[in-house]
Amino acid sequence: MSKEENKNVENSQNTWHQITSENTDRRSALKKLTAGLIAGVGIASTSCSVFSEDQEKEASQLSWDEFFKKNYKIMSDEERVQTVQRLESLYEKKTGNTINISHQGPLDDVLFGYVFNISKCQGYMDCVNACVEENNQDRDSEMKYISIHQIEKGHGFNFEKAEDEFTNEVPLKNHFYIGTQCFHCENPPCVSVCPTEATWKEKDGIVVVDYDWCIGCRYCSASCPYDGRRFNWGQPHVPEEEVNKNQHYLGNRLRKKGVMEKCTFCIQRSRSGQNPACVDACPTGARKFGNLLDPKSEIRWILENKKVFRLKEDLGTEPKFWYYMD
Amino acid sequence: MKNYFKICSLFLIVALVSCSSNQDKEQKYHGNFEKIKALEKDSIEYEVKSTDLIGNTPLILVETKEVSFFIPERKSKIQAYNCSECHTKTIPELKFKNLTGKKAHDSIKLNHATLEELTCNSCHPTQNLDHLKSNLNAKIDFNQSYKVCAQCHSSEYKDWLGGAHGKRVKGWVNPRISHTCVDCHNPHSPKFESRFPAKLNTKKIEEIR
Ligand code: SF4
Ligand code: SF4
Repeated sequence: MSKEENKNVENSQNTWHQITSENTDRRSALKKLTAGLIAGVGIASTSCSVFSEDQEKEASQLSWDEFFKKNYKIMSDEERVQTVQRLESLYEKKTGNTINISHQGPLDDVLFGYVFNISKCQGYMDCVNACVEENNQDRDSEMKYISIHQIEKGHGFNFEKAEDEFTNEVPLKNHFYIGTQCFHCENPPCVSVCPTEATWKEKDGIVVVDYDWCIGCRYCSASCPYDGRRFNWGQPHVPEEEVNKNQHYLGNRLRKKGVMEKCTFCIQRSRSGQNPACVDACPTGARKFGNLLDPKSEIRWILENKKVFRLKEDLGTEPKFWYYMD
Repeated sequence: MKNYFKICSLFLIVALVSCSSNQDKEQKYHGNFEKIKALEKDSIEYEVKSTDLIGNTPLILVETKEVSFFIPERKSKIQAYNCSECHTKTIPELKFKNLTGKKAHDSIKLNHATLEELTCNSCHPTQNLDHLKSNLNAKIDFNQSYKVCAQCHSSEYKDWLGGAHGKRVKGWVNPRISHTCVDCHNPHSPKFESRFPAKLNTKKIEEIR
C-alpha cells in the first residue's frame, strides 16, 4: 500500500467515524426529544383526563337518563322538555355544535292534508333532494322518503311497470310522474301492528315514530300498503356540516341503527306554519299542503273542485294524501 | 256442526269486544270527509302568520268575488324599471330611425305560442312601456301581470285562484300568499325545460355524463 493509499483509508475511516458519531448524536438527540415529548404528552393527557372526567360523568348520566325515559307519547310536558334538553346537550358534548330540538305539539283545529298534481310533476326530484337534506336522512344508504315513479302513459297507474330509478332527462316523452311517500293514513295499519306503541297518529293527523321506543321489528313496514316506511339497516350517517340543526323530537332528529323512520310532513316545519320542504322545493307547484279543517284553504278547494283520488282506497286506510289532474 | 258454530260465534264475540276496547278515546269517523265535516271551523286563528315567515317582501292583494290573497310585488324585481327611463320614445318612433348595433332586449327569445297568436305587442303597449296591456288595449300594471295571462289561460287562472295551480310562498298558514304566474313561468318562454333529475341517481348521472 502506498502512502497515498494509506492516507485515503485513514481519511475514509475518519469520515466513517464522523458519520457514525454524527448518527449517535442524532439518535441521542432524538431519544431526548421523544422522552421530552412523552413527558409533555403525559402532562397534557393527565390535564385532559382531569378536565373530561366531569364531562364524561355528566354525559354518561345523561345517556343513562335517556335510556330509561318513557315513551314520548305518555311523557308529561316537563319530561318532554327534559329529554329534549338531554338530547341537545349530548349532541353538543359529542360534536361541539348546538342543535335545537323542538317538542311542539299539534296546533288546535289543524288536520294536515296533502295533494299531488300528477299533470304537473315533471320528475325533476327537487323534492327528494330537499327532503333528504331537511330530514337528516342517511347519506350512506341514500335513504329517501319520497319515491318518484316514471310510468308510461296509456297503462293507467301501473306501479309494476313504473321506473323508480330512472336516469334519463325528464320529463321523458310519453311518460308521467307520480310521487309516493307516507300518506299519513287516518286508519294507519302501521300503528295498530306496532308491538311497542312506538308509532302513532298525532291529533293533527301526522303519523310519527318515537325512535327511542322503536325496537326495529319492522312489522309496521310490512303492514304499510304504500311503502311509506324506511328502516336504518346500518348506523345512519350525515356529514356534520350537512346536519339540519333545526329539529323536532318526532321528526328529523338524528336516528340510530335499527330504527324505523318515515315522512313526518316535516313536523319541525309544518307545526310552525311552514310548508314541508318538498312543497317548497317543487318548481312546478305539483305539491300542495294545508289544513283540511279550514274550509277556505286551498287544499279544501282542490278536494271540492277537482277530481281527486287516492291509492288503494278499498283498503279503508283513508290516506290524507290525494292525487288530481288538471 | 253445532259445536263448530258455537265456537265460531264465541270467537266473534271475543274479537268484537277486544276490538271495541282497543279503540282510542278519540272518536272514530267513517273516513276523512266525515271527520273534516265534523271538526272544521269557519275562522281559524293561527299563532304564526305567513307574513311573519316571509319577512319584508312587499305584497299585492288579489281580490275576486270568491277569494282574496296576496302575491309578491313585482315591479321592484324588474331590472331597470321604469322602462321609460330608457324608452323616452315610443316604439313606432324608434322604428323610423335606422338603428344599428346591439339591441337592449336581444337576449329575449319569444317562445310562447306562435307569432301569429302572440308578439311583443300583445302584452307590451307600443306607446308607454311602463305597463302591460290587455287584448283590448286596457292598461295593466306590472304588479297585476296575471291579468294579462288570464285572458288566454282561463282554466289555469281559475285553478290558480282556487289554489290547484301554482305555489304558496313559504307557509301554509294564513293569510294566503301565492306566487304569481311570472314567479314560476318566464313569460317569454313559459314552458318548463327538460333536464336531469336533481337528486337520486346523481351518481349514475355523473357516470352517464
Ligand atoms: S302510508 Fe304507510 S306508514 Fe304512512 S300512515 Fe299509512 S300505513 Fe302508516
Ligand atoms: S319497527 Fe319500530 S315502529 Fe315499526 S312496528 Fe316495530 S317497533 Fe313499531
